Amino acid sequence: MDEFEQELRQAFVRRPAPPSLKRKLMARRAEKRQTRHRHTHIQLWQRLAASLVLVALLGGAAQWVRRDREERRQGEAARQQVLTALRITGHALNQMNTQLAAHDRTEQR
Amino acid sequence: MAHDWQPDFEQLVDDHQSMVFSIALRMTGDRGLAEEIAQDVFLELDKHLAKIESPDHACFWLRRVTMSRSADALRRRRVRSTDLWVEFEEHHGAPLEIRDSPLGARLEALLATLPEAQRAALVLRYQEDLTPEEIAATLAEPVATVKSHLQRGLKLLRAKATPHLQEYIRNKKEYIRGV
Repeated sequence: MDEFEQELRQAFVRRPAPPSLKRKLMARRAEKRQTRHRHTHIQLWQRLAASLVLVALLGGAAQWVRRDREERRQGEAARQQVLTALRITGHALNQMNTQLAAHDRTEQR
Repeated sequence: MAHDWQPDFEQLVDDHQSMVFSIALRMTGDRGLAEEIAQDVFLELDKHLAKIESPDHACFWLRRVTMSRSADALRRRRVRSTDLWVEFEEHHGAPLEIRDSPLGARLEALLATLPEAQRAALVLRYQEDLTPEEIAATLAEPVATVKSHLQRGLKLLRAKATPHLQEYIRNKKEYIRGV
């Protein structure tokens, strides 16, 4: 290393930082942390609200599906009852018809 | 990977604020901007504190981020280096006479006139006493490029400083003769 480089080394010695640097830095850091904390709080509430809305939506949808299934089941049961009643009525009418036909034949004789 | 060293932010600030500030100051030539950069660098360190593994890693990280932040600031401002130096002299406070040597002060002034890449290499070499390999790692550049920047920077600085060097030697000789 020559004399010029020695001079460079002496000239480029580290300068002391301004005394205000650390104070300002710590203030900015505290402010940032507070903002981050506040944001975390807000985010927490937002997530909670979103979760509640989601739970309500899912609950509503489940309820709707259950009710729809129940209505379908009841409708099917009613249809089966009507079909059964129609079958019974048809059977009874057939019987009545047979009896009337037998009665008519007896009278003609 | 887990590491035993627990970084203390305030201690890191105390230990390295002078280094960070000096690098930013020599790179930008603006005291106010250098202080701002130093604050930003330490705030970023605070954000990444969990990833810092050792005191050496902290030092390396700080140098690297300071260099990159200074380059960003210079790119944003795009102010001619001579103007920056005028501002630097106005704001920095310490008058030239009370510095260690008038030649040193002049060398520092001439540094501000060098291209950014050469200035970065010289600051890391002569302020931080890093080897070309360490400078290459800090600046994320090939070693050959760093060596080239160092050689060219040194040559340019030497050429610019020659009249001042001659005057300095002449003054020194006269002083010795007078004593």
